[in-house]
Amino acid sequence: MEVKFEDLDIGKVINDDLIDLELKSTTKLGVIQELTHLLYKNHCINSEENFIQDVLYREDQGVTGLEKGIAIPHGKSESVIKTTLAIGRTKKPIEWESMDGKPIEVIFLFAVRKSDSNTLHIKLLQKVATLLAHEDILNRFHQVKTKQEIISLLLKNT
Amino acid sequence: MNIVGISACTSGIAHTYIAKEKLVKVGQELGHNVRIETQGTIGVEDELTAEEIKNADLVIIAADIKVSGKERFKDKRVVEIPTELAIKAPKQLYKKIEAELHTNK
Repeated sequence: MEVKFEDLDIGKVINDDLIDLELKSTTKLGVIQELTHLLYKNHCINSEENFIQDVLYREDQGVTGLEKGIAIPHGKSESVIKTTLAIGRTKKPIEWESMDGKPIEVIFLFAVRKSDSNTLHIKLLQKVATLLAHEDILNRFHQVKTKQEIISLLLKNT
Repeated sequence: MNIVGISACTSGIAHTYIAKEKLVKVGQELGHNVRIETQGTIGVEDELTAEEIKNADLVIIAADIKVSGKERFKDKRVVEIPTELAIKAPKQLYKKIEAELHTNK
């Protein structure tokens, strides 16, 4: 199936049930667990334990903290039912290996099905990743006040 | 300069595309014509054409894994870097390349 990039609607992979702007965790593992639970509650994964294992496996391969307090942990996992994305923001910056050495506050946790025949969803995640290459956008994720603002920011720019 | 390249990361989900965007955006800001092919989890996209490769002054491979089709670049000047460098310091990368090409002329 050929999908046109401009036809993609980010609303297909993200909704406000998958966003938490008030994460309680104060550690990297805690944040991953909290966002993983969000994915589980919303039927996007079928095992929290397996998914976390695959996310941590990826963490071992290289730094997922970008710049300006944004991190993009991700798991390509058998436990993923629906390729999607959970977004969280912590109350305080947390320790997390990053490219500029700064701690992390905004986390995009990508969940990707191991063998995804639906390239559409992967392309949507690609668009989000592409967006994260723009510094002005990275700054704005720290300023948004509501879940809807996060979604609008993604919608407007992808 | 005409620059072509490939980006590819471990899981082919995120870094590949961030690296591509940074290389293209910053390259253009510096006056280069940049085309990057991605080799991600859903395969090759924006594949480089023979024509583009032929006209390229330089090849940048930003990858954390083995990329396919490197033989297309034989006889070309190739710069190989990890995706992290393309994401973290694209401007410095281009400046360094420009400086090196200049001294080698």
